[in-house]
Amino acid sequence: MRTRTTAASALLMSVALLATACGGSGSNTSGSGSGTITLWARDSQKGFINILADAWNKDHDTKVKATVVPVANFVQKFGTAAAGGSGPDVASIDLVYLPYFASTGVLDDITDLANKLPYKDGLSAAHRKLATYNGRTYALPFTAEASVLFYNKDLFRKAGLDPDKPPANYAEIISAAKKIRALGKDIHGYAIAGQCGGCEIFEFTPHIWASGGDVLSADGKKALFDTPEVTDALTFYRKLYTDGSMPTQSKTDTGTNQPAAFQSGKLGMTPLGAFFVQVLKKDKKVDFGVAPLPGRNGGSASFAGGDEIAVTKNAKNKAQAHEFVRWATGEQAQTILAENSIVPVRTDLIDKIYTPLDPRYKVLAAAMEKGRTPYSTVENALFNDNNGPWVNMINRAVFDGDIAKAQQEGQKAAQSIIDDAS
Amino acid sequence: MSAPHRRTLSRAGRRRLAGIAMTSPALAMITLFFFVPLVMMLWMSLHDWPLLGEHHFTGLKNYREALHDTEFRTAVIFTVKYTLITTPVLFVLGLAMALLVRHKRRGARFFQAVYFLPVVVGLASAAFLWLFMFQSDIGPAGDLADHLGLGSRTTNWFAGSTSAMLVVIGMVTWKIVGLQMLLLLTGLRSIPTDAEEAARIDGASRLQTFRYVILPLLRPTLALVLVFSVAGSLLAFDQFYVMTGGGPSNSTITAVYEIYRASFIKFQLGYGSALSALLMIVLAAVSAIQMLLLRSSDH
Repeated sequence: MRTRTTAASALLMSVALLATACGGSGSNTSGSGSGTITLWARDSQKGFINILADAWNKDHDTKVKATVVPVANFVQKFGTAAAGGSGPDVASIDLVYLPYFASTGVLDDITDLANKLPYKDGLSAAHRKLATYNGRTYALPFTAEASVLFYNKDLFRKAGLDPDKPPANYAEIISAAKKIRALGKDIHGYAIAGQCGGCEIFEFTPHIWASGGDVLSADGKKALFDTPEVTDALTFYRKLYTDGSMPTQSKTDTGTNQPAAFQSGKLGMTPLGAFFVQVLKKDKKVDFGVAPLPGRNGGSASFAGGDEIAVTKNAKNKAQAHEFVRWATGEQAQTILAENSIVPVRTDLIDKIYTPLDPRYKVLAAAMEKGRTPYSTVENALFNDNNGPWVNMINRAVFDGDIAKAQQEGQKAAQSIIDDAS
Repeated sequence: MSAPHRRTLSRAGRRRLAGIAMTSPALAMITLFFFVPLVMMLWMSLHDWPLLGEHHFTGLKNYREALHDTEFRTAVIFTVKYTLITTPVLFVLGLAMALLVRHKRRGARFFQAVYFLPVVVGLASAAFLWLFMFQSDIGPAGDLADHLGLGSRTTNWFAGSTSAMLVVIGMVTWKIVGLQMLLLLTGLRSIPTDAEEAARIDGASRLQTFRYVILPLLRPTLALVLVFSVAGSLLAFDQFYVMTGGGPSNSTITAVYEIYRASFIKFQLGYGSALSALLMIVLAAVSAIQMLLLRSSDH
């Protein structure tokens, strides 16, 4: 009996110890013994991450072991693991989260490594900016993404529009969407994912940028949700909805309906990213074109998305981990990415390894090179949260119609999130 | 004399040891999975405790903020509204079904099984199933509504806050009502048939028998079912997370959903803990009141 209670109290003790370890800086318990580097990536990267790891493993003694984490809770999983000291050596992180992770001190400072790269100025500018916190660099650019407008050339022809001349401002999109909508009861002109924060920041912000506005001040300390450029962009979406060009699913779409609708061939236009080119090419069902996302009176902009690759502070195999992230930005690794339909982050190589693969890649490469990304340590709460102020403002303005009130309340909510964090 | 005396002592000692031995696994589990996390949660709720980085003691600051948090207040109001609608629906349907299958008539067992079947489906799976069924253009519910003239295939059920909530309540009813039926059925079966027969012989109608004999004798079961049901509804999360994602326009965010957002979207574990503690206090109070109301009164 005594042994039982002793065992029980020992168990409790160990739990208590574990609990304390959760809060402090626990030891690294990841399985990275000598000779392995553990790498975490999002499940949207599973198509190429192992190919990349295999390429590295072929000519290196230290082996990379990739673990794929579901994209929906990557931040939480990586955050908790890093806090508990059980994180990986290397992580591929959505660039919008870089300021947050850098600010919390879980990433290794790799400023010297980054500055020594001979091609450092050829790396995507948006990625470099997001990887910088207080003047120090915490990650290297890894994969790129760019938001562009996809349009169905068959529907353009049927509606009497020129498939080689995609719409270049708000009015042209609205009128093209209307003409396509008129083709049939189940055919729509334009679709968005109205309840998906990650989608909206990626697809809607470029309109504001292309019109000369922004959503955050340059230092990230002020929300700009109530500016006239935002009003214009919201009015543009609202018009698409009231015209009936937008399907009713758009209001509650968390990002699953929008691509599926375009793949079915019953949707004229939709804003999406480079990854979708690959999906459509595999499908071989829709004859599609790719165009830049325009501003109110022309111009264009794009959201520079993608991932950065970082070494964690508690990495066991730091020297090798550094070597791996450096290699990941090199020509061999970036060529593997391009061959797997990922936009490379090397603007100095893009015309050699990426654009020759498909004529539509030219638009994507150009969009990536001038792409922008909002910089904030509270990006997740501001934009990517499906119930956050950004999504809520767009959803209410576009589908309920009171644009001024939606903007005003969105501005207030966003500013209070920023103020709480500082 | 001394030998038997010693034996009784050691028997008592053995019994006590056996008692400890038998309860200790349960105690250890409760300590491990309830008391330890509970104490940790209360401790964290007194701190500014981000998911990553340094935490520091802030006293009752989180609680003071929570009381002025309009988002949390809206979530609590929605949760109460949801509970007030769900509880009677589940209860009345559960009781009606229990009364239907109470007597060992032909087919009673069959229907009992049919009513209970959805209970064994996981809540998240059930939510995804209904999400698909009510998806515009592709879901069978739209087809059915079209044929019955109640709507069209393109109706987006999740676009209106009321219709979205009704679809969720429909799913929860389908999923949970079988369990309530089963609990109420055991209560009904434990009522001695003599009591009912005596009432009949005294000339009581079916309704009177139900009102004055069955219902009072069912009281302990009613308390159990109501406490279960109310606690379950106040803690609702999965069904809304899966089916509405809190939408449209954040109109279906429950209290637990808000706790999830505070902890894992805004990464404020300390604040999330404070909200959890508040919810736990409310839940304990509501359950205690229900128990008191349903226990004594006319005894």
